[in-house]
Amino acid sequence: MNMDMKASEAGRVNAEILATYVVRALGVRKTYWMGEEPVHALNGVDFSVHRGEYISIMGPSGSGKSTLFNMIGGLDKPTEGRVYIDEVDIAALDTMELAWLRCHKIGYIFQTFNLISVATALDNVMLPMTFAGMPQDLAQDKAVEILEKVGLGERVLHKPLEMSGGQQQRVACARALANDPAIVLADEPTANLDRATGEQIIELLSELNKSEGVTIITATHDHKMLSASNRIAWVRDGRIERIQDRDEIEIKEGDMRVR
Amino acid sequence: MVNRENNAMRADSPKNGCQTPTGGRKSEISPLPLGKVVVVALRGIRIRIWRSLLVVSCIVLAVAFLVYILASDVFARHVADRGSQLLIDSLTGAGLLDQVNAVNQRVQTYWMVGLALVISFVGIVNAMLMSVTERFREIGTMKCLGALDGFVLQLFLIESLIEGAAGTLAGLLTGLILAYGEGLTRYGSEVWRLVPAGEASLLLVACFVSGLLLTVLGALYPAYQAARMAPVMALRSEV
Repeated sequence: MNMDMKASEAGRVNAEILATYVVRALGVRKTYWMGEEPVHALNGVDFSVHRGEYISIMGPSGSGKSTLFNMIGGLDKPTEGRVYIDEVDIAALDTMELAWLRCHKIGYIFQTFNLISVATALDNVMLPMTFAGMPQDLAQDKAVEILEKVGLGERVLHKPLEMSGGQQQRVACARALANDPAIVLADEPTANLDRATGEQIIELLSELNKSEGVTIITATHDHKMLSASNRIAWVRDGRIERIQDRDEIEIKEGDMRVR
Repeated sequence: MVNRENNAMRADSPKNGCQTPTGGRKSEISPLPLGKVVVVALRGIRIRIWRSLLVVSCIVLAVAFLVYILASDVFARHVADRGSQLLIDSLTGAGLLDQVNAVNQRVQTYWMVGLALVISFVGIVNAMLMSVTERFREIGTMKCLGALDGFVLQLFLIESLIEGAAGTLAGLLTGLILAYGEGLTRYGSEVWRLVPAGEASLLLVACFVSGLLLTVLGALYPAYQAARMAPVMALRSEV
């Protein structure tokens, strides 16, 4: 009886955490070895991402930003500590389960778009669904639907080289959404785009964040990106230096404009 | 089947709900059907047509040389049995008959065949390794999208198999043309009946199989390398 109560209590707490957080990093350390010399990329990071938020990770290069970002994306495992994605400890997963996680839970958007150049926009968006084992006709319908959502309804059968950078990144956004992920992970998504196009992509991400309720995590240097975010995590020397809310960000952005 | 299960789980859980790889319910990525892999492989060949042609030309050379040497050897061996007396006399007169059947000459040619095969094998391994390193981002991206190691392995093996088949066929044709061309000048029109049909087809099948085998063996290690590549490679922005 007592045991049952405890179990249901634990279940309730777990469900609460699951409803609130999509990513939790607890005491994460990551050490790389450069020959004999240990390099501490992360020194005990505690960090959580709320379900449905838009969060940016900022930090100079070498700060551990990329390491943290990769860890959240299930692309790297911590040396010490735990990373939970949807309350699944990624360190406990084998290769197959990690592939499953990346396929179904995480959508990736890359700085260099990384589309398959000889395949049409449609085929590119269908690829993750094919990996997930979705029947082709369903996948096709869904891919067209998502491409329309990102404003490329007219360009479904175009190949990446026939499209502008902004349009290519839109295809990449559509591809990231293909399997209804819990998280969209965007690594400097605007770095290879001109200012106006970059702004459109940020707008698109922020729209998708609101309309689809998908959590968006970006690593970026783009100040425009900061004002679209709900929160910003500043990483320095392998630690989270501070986490700011949007209100503080706007002050910060004002500062930058003055400067 | 697995997919339908996943969809059902998706439907009954809240948005982006709590089904997990370790959550007790079975959720795996099913391997892609072979047809899909072939489509992706053909696409890969098309993107890097020049690199593919390099692999193909390695195989063409090796197989052509193999066929040429073996066929000429068969011609020489059958001259005494099937050739007309006139041909044998004329060849002996020119000192050619001893030459084509000399033991040390044949040992030398077999060495050369072996060397040619080794060189083209190295060429294939090298070209495939380059194609793997050059595609780190593409492979990484596919792995980020949920591709399994097995898929990447299959992809590279099938690609090499297609290139191998194309190269071997072209090599067979080239080798035969060369061998019969030389045969015509040496044995005249008798060359057409010097080789029995059974032996000729056996020779062709053996060369075809060894051409394919050469390519797939050469692709094995690079394909393994590709399959083990970390998905994080997709994020690397420098080339």
